[in-house]
Amino acid sequence: MTIRTTPIALAAAVAAASLLSVAASAQTPDASKEKCYGVSMAGHNDCASAGNNSCSGQSKVDYDAKAWKLVAKGTCTAMEVMAKDGMKHKGMLAPM
Amino acid sequence: MTTDRRALSLSRPPMRAGVGLKPEHYRPILDDHPDIGWFEVHAENYMGAGGPPHYFLERIRADYALSVHGVGLSIGSAAGLTSGHLDRLKTVVDRYQPFVVSEHLAWSTHGNAFYNDLLPLPYTRATLDLVARHVDVTQEALGRRLLLENPSTYLRFDGEEMGETDFLAELARRTGCGLLLDVNNVFVSAANHGFDARAYLDAFPLARVQEIHLAGHETQHGDANMPTLLIDTHDRPVADPVWDLYRHVLARLGACPTLIEWDSALPTWPVLAAEAARAENLLRASEGADHARAA
Amino acid sequence: MRARPETSAAAAQQAAFAQALLHLDAPTPAGLTTYSEAEAARRFAVYRNNVRVSLVAALGARYPVVRRLVGAEFFDAAALLFIAQHPPTGPVLANYGAGFDAFLASFEPAADLPYLPDMAKLEWLRHRAFHAADADPIGIDRLAMLPPERLDTVRLALHPAVQFIVSPWPVLSIWTTNTEDDEVRPLGPEAGSESVLVTRPALQVLTQRLPAGADRLLAALADNAPLGAAVAAAVEAEPAFDIAGCLALLFSAGAIVGLTEGSRS
Repeated sequence: MTIRTTPIALAAAVAAASLLSVAASAQTPDASKEKCYGVSMAGHNDCASAGNNSCSGQSKVDYDAKAWKLVAKGTCTAMEVMAKDGMKHKGMLAPM
Repeated sequence: MTTDRRALSLSRPPMRAGVGLKPEHYRPILDDHPDIGWFEVHAENYMGAGGPPHYFLERIRADYALSVHGVGLSIGSAAGLTSGHLDRLKTVVDRYQPFVVSEHLAWSTHGNAFYNDLLPLPYTRATLDLVARHVDVTQEALGRRLLLENPSTYLRFDGEEMGETDFLAELARRTGCGLLLDVNNVFVSAANHGFDARAYLDAFPLARVQEIHLAGHETQHGDANMPTLLIDTHDRPVADPVWDLYRHVLARLGACPTLIEWDSALPTWPVLAAEAARAENLLRASEGADHARAA
Repeated sequence: MRARPETSAAAAQQAAFAQALLHLDAPTPAGLTTYSEAEAARRFAVYRNNVRVSLVAALGARYPVVRRLVGAEFFDAAALLFIAQHPPTGPVLANYGAGFDAFLASFEPAADLPYLPDMAKLEWLRHRAFHAADADPIGIDRLAMLPPERLDTVRLALHPAVQFIVSPWPVLSIWTTNTEDDEVRPLGPEAGSESVLVTRPALQVLTQRLPAGADRLLAALADNAPLGAAVAAAVEAEPAFDIAGCLALLFSAGAIVGLTEGSRS
């Protein structure tokens, strides 16, 4: 069972989309060719050694999922969801 | 743009100081067009299909000479070179037409894993055979000469049959490859293994050297039972004794394209440019000495 | 490959070295110059440190929001575990980090953060888009110029950077507040499932929320289905599918780079 969209409906949608696009591109000036100049290449290759300040690799603890003791302490603990009833739920997001 | 590039690729290597190109410096370079001799990139950072890396490198290459420095070929891999990576390297070299292509005397791939570090090789006749085969294959694939760089090392092996300088001299003789002399690596390895850096340089096959690297290193202090180790961190200015060794090399070699390598804790552009200017002043002075010698 | 005798000895030595690089409980490899045991270990640790620190840093740079969500200590330790299980399979570091979402999905200590794998997936898609092949987006005027009866069969080509994720979690809202805000903003009562479009029309990677059903349309376009069939697939999944809104979004996000007409066999 396939649902068809009539050519007229599709044409109307394209026409409406054209208008929407014009409005949208007026708001977001051309996705800036040069704006992101200072781009950092995340995780690139180089040929230097790691120094004293970055010695996590020398940690004597070999991390093992079964013997895991660390607790996530990042922004996930500060994440707050305002539910429809106006209650704030801090911390873990639950499926809604 | 095309003619610029051709002119640059056909011209002789720039007898000037260059710096490692970092994305953080794309903006000052394109905006201010600084008077810097050349740039070096790590080949592996330009092996993606498209996007900002190629966009910026194309623009910078249009105006500056370039050196391509591989960090992932693993030319000392006992299990052989990965042909796929050689193809990728060739694509980068063909596209950007560098005045020189270099790699390291090291290994980093074993089995299916890449260890993202330049790991040490024992200097034996067997290793020499292995590396010479791989240099041959690489030069054949690229259709041009490769420079091989002396590594900084923290370990040596039992049963080594020759020193690093003899190893490199023989490798260059057999394969016709050139050498990239990293003066900071000499200083680091000399301290770590207790040899004399000047004696090493005097034994080095300088006639094969077509590029010099300078970089900063870190000192990891030892104790009563353990010696101090130097770590090749590329995260600070070149140390004074390394500048001294550089002068020592220039006095024997004459002018040679020289790179300031600064890979982490990146300085602002002016600080990096000043470091390059310091190298260039020494290099120009030695060029003057060249002419004096020739005359 | 035919192994030469000298090569297999070297291969064994490199194998032992490699094994010890990733596993802290592995002994320092044999065959090193005679140092005291402690000194050999310390020297070897420099290499081990280089490998582990550089790969943890690569993952941290690739997954900044996941890192911010769980904190540096938790992230770096999880990354070390991932690295030991999944070292890079090639020398191009830009290709490293695939599968971190799947790793997190089965990572017991992160079970309380069920949206974490989708966040990793979103960050991976952004990274892929950054390095994707270039192409010039076309404007919707190209589509609007076509006679209405030909819209049904026209095929739209997606930009190589285009990817999307359908998540039961508000991944884009979480990503946005963790990327743009010094302190995370509370998510509103509407926070629920989000589908996200990733594009890179020029140099900048863009992410935007997709309306319901749009993922079906995109999947159909990616399969080279004609526009009529792609719209039908979206409407089938989402009867209230907003055709005009979705097309406007795709074109203004630079997701479309070509159109071809006519039925092709």
